[in-house]
Amino acid sequence: MKKRLLSTVGGAILAAGIAASGTAQAEGELNVLTWEGYTDPSFVEGFEAATGCKVTPTYVGSNDEFPAKLAGGGGIYDLVSPSLDTTSIMMKAGFVEPIDTSRLEHWGEVYPQFSGHDGINSDGEVYGVPYTWGAIPFMYRADAFETAPTSIAQLWDDPDLAGEISLWDDKTNLYITARMLFGNDADIFDLSDEQLAQVRDKLIELKPMIRKYWASAGELVNLYANGEVTISNTWGGYQSALLAEQGIEMIEFIPEENADGWADAWQIVKGTPNEDCAYQWLNYAISPEGQCGVVGITGYSGANPTALETCKTPEEMAALHQDDFGYIDSLVLWQEPVRIDAYINTWNAVKAAE
Amino acid sequence: MNHARRHKLGFWVLFSAPMLWWIIVLLVPYLIMLSISFYSRQFPFHVPDFQFGNYLILLQDSQYWTVLLRSVKVSILVSLAAFAMGYPLAYFLAFKVQSERLRLFLYVATIVPLWVSYLLRAYTWKTILGSEGILNSFLMWVGILDEPSTLFLYNEFAMVVTMAYIFTPFMVMPIYASLEKIPRSLIEASKDLGAARFSTFWRITLPLTMPGVLAGFTFTFGLSVGDFVSPLLVGGPYSNMISNVIATQFGMAMNWPLGAALGVVMLFIVLGVITASDKLERAGRLNLG
Repeated sequence: MKKRLLSTVGGAILAAGIAASGTAQAEGELNVLTWEGYTDPSFVEGFEAATGCKVTPTYVGSNDEFPAKLAGGGGIYDLVSPSLDTTSIMMKAGFVEPIDTSRLEHWGEVYPQFSGHDGINSDGEVYGVPYTWGAIPFMYRADAFETAPTSIAQLWDDPDLAGEISLWDDKTNLYITARMLFGNDADIFDLSDEQLAQVRDKLIELKPMIRKYWASAGELVNLYANGEVTISNTWGGYQSALLAEQGIEMIEFIPEENADGWADAWQIVKGTPNEDCAYQWLNYAISPEGQCGVVGITGYSGANPTALETCKTPEEMAALHQDDFGYIDSLVLWQEPVRIDAYINTWNAVKAAE
Repeated sequence: MNHARRHKLGFWVLFSAPMLWWIIVLLVPYLIMLSISFYSRQFPFHVPDFQFGNYLILLQDSQYWTVLLRSVKVSILVSLAAFAMGYPLAYFLAFKVQSERLRLFLYVATIVPLWVSYLLRAYTWKTILGSEGILNSFLMWVGILDEPSTLFLYNEFAMVVTMAYIFTPFMVMPIYASLEKIPRSLIEASKDLGAARFSTFWRITLPLTMPGVLAGFTFTFGLSVGDFVSPLLVGGPYSNMISNVIATQFGMAMNWPLGAALGVVMLFIVLGVITASDKLERAGRLNLG
């Protein structure tokens, strides 16, 4: 009798589990692992209404989370949107599948610097659809500085900034620090152990000046809004706009050490049961609706300038650097570091240090 | 014979489910963690192996020592703070509150915060301790501070305060339970024999509640040393704890073998603390004998 009760209960739990996983995989659902703002309801609602594909986002705070989440049994995601330095890792790890670009109406309009980038091309196959791009500039509170900062060396040298600095909790801090130490032409994606140790020590030296490492767009916005910090690096265009909405004037600048450039691309997770919806989304992402939507929300630049011409004035296009191919080349576009483990370890050592 | 067989059957019916549960959700995962700690990291994942390289890295790279020591230090501070707040509270509840209903009410009021989301409570401390937070506003209003102090938030102090607040109920509960068990006649006997109040407390009450105190310390230490949320929310650049490093190894570094090795080390630390508190408790019992 007891046994029967147990097996009945067990059966019920099992049945409930199957039912739950069944609904999660129903046709017309897209679980996407992405950045804040990339699937904003303001432009996703139109997509959902037109296609019947419901979009459910999960947000990441750094690129390293994309491969990590998929390695940890990320079978629930259909689409991911890492930057071009991480798309290649997703490819090598076998997490994503090749994309049939002939199914994408606007593919030919995407910036060639991105569509032809090594990060999403391998053996003649394409593994990603570029979506947005921009810089990692620095920004400061307009009311906190009398003279505009021009170099990040000031973060180390200006005692007035003690406890007012925030840096992104991300390995990319190594890049700009390396440029400061070894010059703007240094091969920052292939630093030697000795150079990495120098970068590490330099960043540890900065720790007493730092209030908090920020881990998400929302966290950085709150740090400024609560009067905790006055200067930080930023996802250019995004957080400054969110702060402007709260009446806090921010000024973004590209320091003498130059800025990293980035571009994010959508990738289809291997074995997704929602491939049709995934392609519908890829098409939408680089269509005028998708591009105008995401650029409007995030303040980033878009991967398809032709699509943006439908909603932006020439002045707005110029402000987003969408009229100037050379601007992209002037930034230091992220690449997968030659020895990524050493880079991540270096950043972890900075965070661990006393 | 028949009776014995029935007894055996009854035993298995009763205990097979919990034992299976224990094996599946505790024993097997620990064994998996242990075996992964011997694997080798190989981009982008890891390969099965049997080598001690991961443990060697933990020994050689000082970043892991730094974080481990910090975690132990913070956890001890949290436990001490929780004890300092929790013991008087439990004592007050058990000995000073006369009304049964009031005592129940106060006890529930102590525990009820546990039902509120951990995140929410940690966030609340942010609004209290921040530069423009409640504490700073108050201190400036009173005139103690001229300008807001940044010393309250985004550092170890904020972590200890937040965790001590959140984990104090785990200190109060076992101490209260052991205080309640003390026969009042013992206290009265002590007083009859001429012991002063403090002497009674120091020589009778406190020793008798040591099992509760040790249980409380074990709880709060274990919970704090494994915490990775408060460093993210109220900690600053110097607040990385061992659980953050483990999360990083399983997350962004995708170095599961190293993360597993760290997990094994931490498991042994916590087991060590539990064993030590068990030994202490036994020793205490003998002394009282």
